[in-house]
Amino acid sequence: MSEWTEIVDYFRGRSMWMLHYCTGCGAIELPPTMTSRWDMERFGITPMATPRQADILLITGYLAIKTLKRVIYTYEQMQPPKWVLGFGSCTINGGIYWDSYNVIERLDKYIPVDIYIAGCMPRPEAILDSFVKLKEMVQNGEAKGYEKYVKNYEWYKANQDKVLKRTKPVLERIEKVTKIG
Amino acid sequence: MVIVEFLIKLSQGFGIGALALATGLLFGGIARKIMARIQRRYGPPFTQNFMDLFKLLSKGSVSHGWAFDLGLVAGFVPMLAALMFLPIGPFTLFPSDSSLIMIVYLMMMAYLGMAMGVLASGNPNSAIGMSRALMLMAGYEVPFAAVIFSIYFFSKTGYLTQIVAMQSGGFMNWNIVKMPLGFLAVEIVLQGMLGEKPFDQAIAPAEIASGPMVELGGKYLGFGMIQHSVALFLETGIIVDLFLGGAPNFWIFIAKQFVLYFVVVLVDAILPRLRVHEATSFFWKLPLFLGILQAVIVIIQGGVLNV
Amino acid sequence: MSSLLALLLVPVTGSIVAAIIQRYRLAERLVSFSTFVVTLLFLIDIRVGDAFTWSLGFLGKNIEMGLQITPLSIFMLYMTIAFGVLLTFFDLTERSKMKSFLLLLTLAASNWIFMATDFLSFFFAWELMGWASILAIFGGRRTAESRHGALYYAMMSIGGSYSMLIGIFLLSNLTGSFSIQQNVSYLVSIMTVHPWWVLGIVSMFFVAFMVKSGIFPFHTWVPYTYGESPDGFVPYLSSVMSKYGIYGFLIFLPLTLSLRNVPGVLGLPWPNYTLVWFGSITAVVGSVLAFMQDDVKKLFAYSSFSNLGFILAAIALFTPIGLTAGLFHAFNHLLFNGAIFITVVAVISKVGITRMSEMGGLWQKMPLTFLTFFVGIASAAGIPPFAGFGSKWMIFQAMISHGLIFATVLLFFASIASFLYLMRAFHAIFLGQLSHKYDNVKEISAIGKITEVFLIGALIFFGIFPGFILDPINSIVGSFGLKPLPTSGYEYINGFFSSVNMVSIFIVVIVAFIFGFLLFAVSAKHKKVPQEDNYTAGQIPKDWNLTPEMYQFSYDFYEPMDKEIAPFLKIKIDGFFKGFGDSVEYLGSSIKEIFTGNVQIYTYLAIGGLVIFVIAGWIVW
Ligand code: SF4
Repeated sequence: MSEWTEIVDYFRGRSMWMLHYCTGCGAIELPPTMTSRWDMERFGITPMATPRQADILLITGYLAIKTLKRVIYTYEQMQPPKWVLGFGSCTINGGIYWDSYNVIERLDKYIPVDIYIAGCMPRPEAILDSFVKLKEMVQNGEAKGYEKYVKNYEWYKANQDKVLKRTKPVLERIEKVTKIG
Repeated sequence: MVIVEFLIKLSQGFGIGALALATGLLFGGIARKIMARIQRRYGPPFTQNFMDLFKLLSKGSVSHGWAFDLGLVAGFVPMLAALMFLPIGPFTLFPSDSSLIMIVYLMMMAYLGMAMGVLASGNPNSAIGMSRALMLMAGYEVPFAAVIFSIYFFSKTGYLTQIVAMQSGGFMNWNIVKMPLGFLAVEIVLQGMLGEKPFDQAIAPAEIASGPMVELGGKYLGFGMIQHSVALFLETGIIVDLFLGGAPNFWIFIAKQFVLYFVVVLVDAILPRLRVHEATSFFWKLPLFLGILQAVIVIIQGGVLNV
Repeated sequence: MSSLLALLLVPVTGSIVAAIIQRYRLAERLVSFSTFVVTLLFLIDIRVGDAFTWSLGFLGKNIEMGLQITPLSIFMLYMTIAFGVLLTFFDLTERSKMKSFLLLLTLAASNWIFMATDFLSFFFAWELMGWASILAIFGGRRTAESRHGALYYAMMSIGGSYSMLIGIFLLSNLTGSFSIQQNVSYLVSIMTVHPWWVLGIVSMFFVAFMVKSGIFPFHTWVPYTYGESPDGFVPYLSSVMSKYGIYGFLIFLPLTLSLRNVPGVLGLPWPNYTLVWFGSITAVVGSVLAFMQDDVKKLFAYSSFSNLGFILAAIALFTPIGLTAGLFHAFNHLLFNGAIFITVVAVISKVGITRMSEMGGLWQKMPLTFLTFFVGIASAAGIPPFAGFGSKWMIFQAMISHGLIFATVLLFFASIASFLYLMRAFHAIFLGQLSHKYDNVKEISAIGKITEVFLIGALIFFGIFPGFILDPINSIVGSFGLKPLPTSGYEYINGFFSSVNMVSIFIVVIVAFIFGFLLFAVSAKHKKVPQEDNYTAGQIPKDWNLTPEMYQFSYDFYEPMDKEIAPFLKIKIDGFFKGFGDSVEYLGSSIKEIFTGNVQIYTYLAIGGLVIFVIAGWIVW
């Protein structure tokens, strides 16, 4: 059975589809990474449209609390195996937003991050480096963040609730705004 | 005796299915490579599609109920079934059963199944994508009908095997020489059938989140990929049989298919996407004109059939 | 032959009984069902060639009347009565406001139509059928609208009947006889001498048939009337009654055989050519209008006459393959249209509306109905191995073999357009998001389920073994003096260009499905999620008060297409009839003031009017 798992892991590492959550300023580094200059497709990594199809969730930079809510929702809509890349200093320790009232500081308190890419902002080379690193980890069966999330769900949930209770609904009196007809 | 025969057919059928799937995936991979080179990239390895398919089948997914499952299975299965009736090079699994219209309608069943599956997911994006795909279909099937008409009327038979047999004996007997306008029409139609640019409205990833595929993941997306690969093989294969004189062996068959697909990929690489209704009405203009012109020429040449 | 008379008397008796006990719903339904069954039993020992004649003395004249069974009539009788059995069985538990005695009266009339050997009884039966069906339409869901629909239908029918009546009297003036056979052979004999005369007389009849079948340009009443008639009656109206016109066409189409050697268009006599065009245009008009519809009954009304266009185009060729294809499609249309309409009726009875954009997701609640509908639309789209494939495939071959390029492309377009509207209805009714309004919707009753299973079975069975239908059709084709297509076993369809072995297709599809499900089973596990757990671009549905209705896209499904076909829609064919209709509506409302809307009174009025009408025609003649 373990040979089979190894084969599966090998192919998983060679074919990773990515959903990029681009709220931070780092999103600007993604187009060159995808297109002719750096060409991430040669590692079998392609951008995808919806969480159902994706294997990697790439978080580019700072997350306001309201966006964190969406990130968690998206992450939970993804299906295992799935991996999270935290991109930029903001996901590691808040970066230049370290003392902001509505930006989270450490992403891996809320969802399990497999690899952090340090820098403000990291260059495409760094992104590619992280992809290669992730590929190795997947092929060695080390990238198991999604299992950690299931196992320690209470802890993650508690952390999420602690910050999310500071959010208000986007719309007040939603019934009135979104009434049909 | 019947059982032995059945088992032989079964294994041959498996072989055909596997070969067609592999060819389709390989074509897809090569197309990605070509596209990368046109964009001056290195591109993924040409085996990338195999790895993608394997990963998809081994990845978890969500299901929206039995209609979703049934629809997506019914989305690729009839394609494989249709494949069994296609003359591939010298080989046909059911030599007495290769009616062209039947194959076309079997492929339609796959689209029906796919539509049922993705619409059962209940996502409006997939509904929009599906409506676009169907509208596009209303566009390209009309010139395709004109081409089928010419072929039937010219060859006086509906069996693909016989159409291939009529073209034997050198390049000058191929239907591409005898019916160049029809071939041109069908090559444009192929672009639409495969949903390549400028006719990729249905799966516009940035506007409607990849349309029909929005809720598909894991094996369901894998089924979609199988469907696309087999459809690629089937559609190019039909055109090879209709216009390029079939092939003496499997490799030449694939080579001819690839030539057709190569043109599609090149067009795909340089053109942007059309708007939905522009794409549909495009098919009702130039390709339909070509197809009908070809049919009229064939009628004038051939006169009336003896009924 | 007594059993021929029984075909007329049993439904009439049943009708009287049903009319008497119509207060007791279930008893009424049971009477209507058992009448159909008894009629079917009488039909079983009727053979081709059975005949019965009597003569009628009227105003000093002796008029020969008769009943006779031809291969075509027995085919039509079986289709009508067998479908009626199914429909009345289904109706046992339905609660639509259909009057059973009117349905039975229609049955008696239709049996008479198919057996009549003289134009007089043909016309009388035709009128009886027309009036009975008009009255049946009155009991629709919305009273005022259904009255309007019935009047529209009545107006068109009366127009057609007048035209037919004039034709009959012209003909009998020429030949001195009412016998269909004598008149037709007389027409054949003067065909070469006075072609315009023949054309004039025959088109008098054809107007009536075109109206009944809803052939362009007389299709305008179909959507109004179907849309407003009682839910239980629509399947009969669209599956069975539209075929009467086809029967009528087939009385006169053999005339064109004598034109075969006269130069025409592409080796086809020009009357046939013209009719093929009428058929093709009907097919296209029906399909195009259908995919703009939001009312489900109207959508399938359009679909229904669009299919009649296919049938007309095929039989109008009047070649062996054309005729076979047309009759085969008539049978398949009966089946799949029945399946579609019966499921639609089932859905309407559960959700209580006919607007498709307000339905959705019902597959979760009505799985068997959903499957029946699926098989129905797959057949309607001509997908093998279901019924419907063979006939469509043969129609295309028949068209291609004549080199009718434009008509073929039109029909192909109609076929693709039918795929579009079928998918739209499929999506809007059954797929997509299920509104919370329908949380309590249940699958239909056991009787309905039995009907549905039977329909699925029939659609698959006749798809795989088309020979069971092609054999009788071949004998019909032979009876018209054409050479039937070769037969080679029940599982084969032999076309002009190729033949298809349906069993092998079926086996291949089944094996492929087994393989598909195996692949499904061995690949990675899936997780079942509710419909709320859906891709929303990261938004949390609750935060935005997202309801299933908002997340369902089915209104204006083909909006971008409207731009392309809008110019064609500007040509309003029904404008002419509308102006006419307004005056009829005025008439209708003044009638309404006189009577209280009681259906019985209408019946008496109609029958009385009919008698006066016939006698008046007689005296003038
Ligand atoms: S890490 Fe730097 S570049 Fe990235 S989001 Fe934070 S501030 Fe912007």
